[in-house]
Amino acid sequence: MGAFDTTATAAAQVAPPAQRGLWRRFAHNRLALASLFIGAGVIAAALAGPLLYAVDPNYQNYTAINAWPSAAYPLGTDSLGRDTLARILAGLRVSLIVVAYVELLNVGVGATLGLIAGYRGGMVDNAISRVADMLFAFPGLLFAILVAAVFGPAVTERFGGIGRLLLVAGSLALVSWPLMARYVRAQTLALKQQDYVLAARSIGVGGQRIMWGHILPGVAGLIVVSATLDVAAVVVNEAVLSLLGLGIQPPDASIGQMIRQAIDYLESNWLQVFLPSAALTLLVLVFSFIGDGLRDAVDPLSEV
Amino acid sequence: MGGVIGRRLLGLVFVIFSITFLTFIVGYLAPGDPILVLMGPRRDPQLYASLQHQYGLDLPWYHQYFNYLGGLLHGDLGMSYRFQGRSVNDILANGIGVSIALGAMALAASLLIGVPTGIIAALRQNSWLDRSSMIFMLALFSIPTFVMIPILRAANYFVLFRNGLPALPPAGWGTPAHWVMPVAVLAAVTMGYLARLTRSSMLDTLHQDYIRTARAKGLRRRQVVGVHALRNALLPIVTVIGPSLAFLVTGSFVVESLFAIPGIGYLGVQAIAQRDYPVIQGTTVLLAVTVVLMNLIADILYSVLDPRIQAEG
Repeated sequence: MGAFDTTATAAAQVAPPAQRGLWRRFAHNRLALASLFIGAGVIAAALAGPLLYAVDPNYQNYTAINAWPSAAYPLGTDSLGRDTLARILAGLRVSLIVVAYVELLNVGVGATLGLIAGYRGGMVDNAISRVADMLFAFPGLLFAILVAAVFGPAVTERFGGIGRLLLVAGSLALVSWPLMARYVRAQTLALKQQDYVLAARSIGVGGQRIMWGHILPGVAGLIVVSATLDVAAVVVNEAVLSLLGLGIQPPDASIGQMIRQAIDYLESNWLQVFLPSAALTLLVLVFSFIGDGLRDAVDPLSEV
Repeated sequence: MGGVIGRRLLGLVFVIFSITFLTFIVGYLAPGDPILVLMGPRRDPQLYASLQHQYGLDLPWYHQYFNYLGGLLHGDLGMSYRFQGRSVNDILANGIGVSIALGAMALAASLLIGVPTGIIAALRQNSWLDRSSMIFMLALFSIPTFVMIPILRAANYFVLFRNGLPALPPAGWGTPAHWVMPVAVLAAVTMGYLARLTRSSMLDTLHQDYIRTARAKGLRRRQVVGVHALRNALLPIVTVIGPSLAFLVTGSFVVESLFAIPGIGYLGVQAIAQRDYPVIQGTTVLLAVTVVLMNLIADILYSVLDPRIQAEG
């Protein structure tokens, strides 16, 4: 609840990472390496999906409702007779697009504000830190739910599906960026005291250049690791929002909605719940393992 | 210790101001005219003006905020936009008891199962029991809530019901049989987290010097563990109760709506579908403030239990 607690200062004691040997250390962690390949595969499948598997995810075949896998439908169909493989690919694409937007905002807004707050200090720091604290006041997803619920219908009416996607990403970023700002601010505060920054200043390097050219590289590892670890949370949160009816609107596919819809037909066709759940869990696990591996590779001392 | 509590109270004022202010601003900026929604097809300027006045929407925003805050201080969450003449309190009142019951049972279950599991695992470090229970707890912690629900429901249906065994009702709220699955799902993540935290905290404590001293002076293992280790090992548990509550709150939205349990989360989701903003705002403020207050209690409890905290406070 206080301004910046001990978890942030612990992160701040991380020295500027040695970039050399980063890949070697990462590859040493077999689980992280395997996750990286699986993750790349999932991303490629989701993005190239429409090219490889050209089935309309919204086409309803009323003669094949809740069908089990067959030659025509490799993963079966849902309760409205839609192809499950096509819908999972489309749903994963939505998850990944939301993740990309959220992390863009998380790094673009959260890390930038954290860097500015830490380097400038004083009033600027106070203002940024208080705004972050205000958002921290809401437990979990509550504020994201509120924002998505209140602005959702109007945004969909005016801007359509893309607008809705951006709103979902924006409301999820509201939950992510304060933590990123807190981490980056704490490490910036620590780096600001380093001799090399003093040296740069003493030979007349300007504030902007010190901030972006000398401190940012030292914080970059932390930013990448936090953003990667945040991805797993964002994937789950996006699914929760669509499960509550706040995400991508029907008939467009999203993993959360597929689970919500199929759960009513669990007794007759459990596979239709299992497949989207498994796809989502896989995505979450893969990103958690990559994040863990990256953290250990960037900073070998921060075990656990 | 008074200083710590004073600072926490000051922080509490800021946090509650943040919650109410941001919630109010989101509602204030909400697109669409609630009065027009309320009036339906009727177009009567006089009625419009009187309704606008009744809801206080003819005032400037800061005045509206002070009215909102004033109402909140009296425990009044405002008026519904969807049901004319019904207050938000009235709508949410039915759900509070149910949500508290669900949340309390889930928290109790995760503490009563998670903490002892962690202690036993630590006492038998690296045994078969330790490893298997920790893998199980890691699974509980990692599987998202809405994936856990179909797993449990499928197990209930295919293993119990199909074989003619007594099965649990798949949804609803009423008899204790209805409680089992929602409580299990809601408790799962917190339980997994608590078990793993308890284990590592217990292991940490068992390696402390004073434990070696206690053992060296010839105390029985039971006494060393029960009296010396346990008390200190359990301290960190108090600090994670706050974050756990935050999780329970978000989880209750999913659990209540998928099990059709008439709690606050379910009412909130219904209000989302009906675009009844004051009810959504009321749900947010109510849940957020509850979590904040529970956090405060946990903080105070912690500083009472662990006198070393004073030095930092």
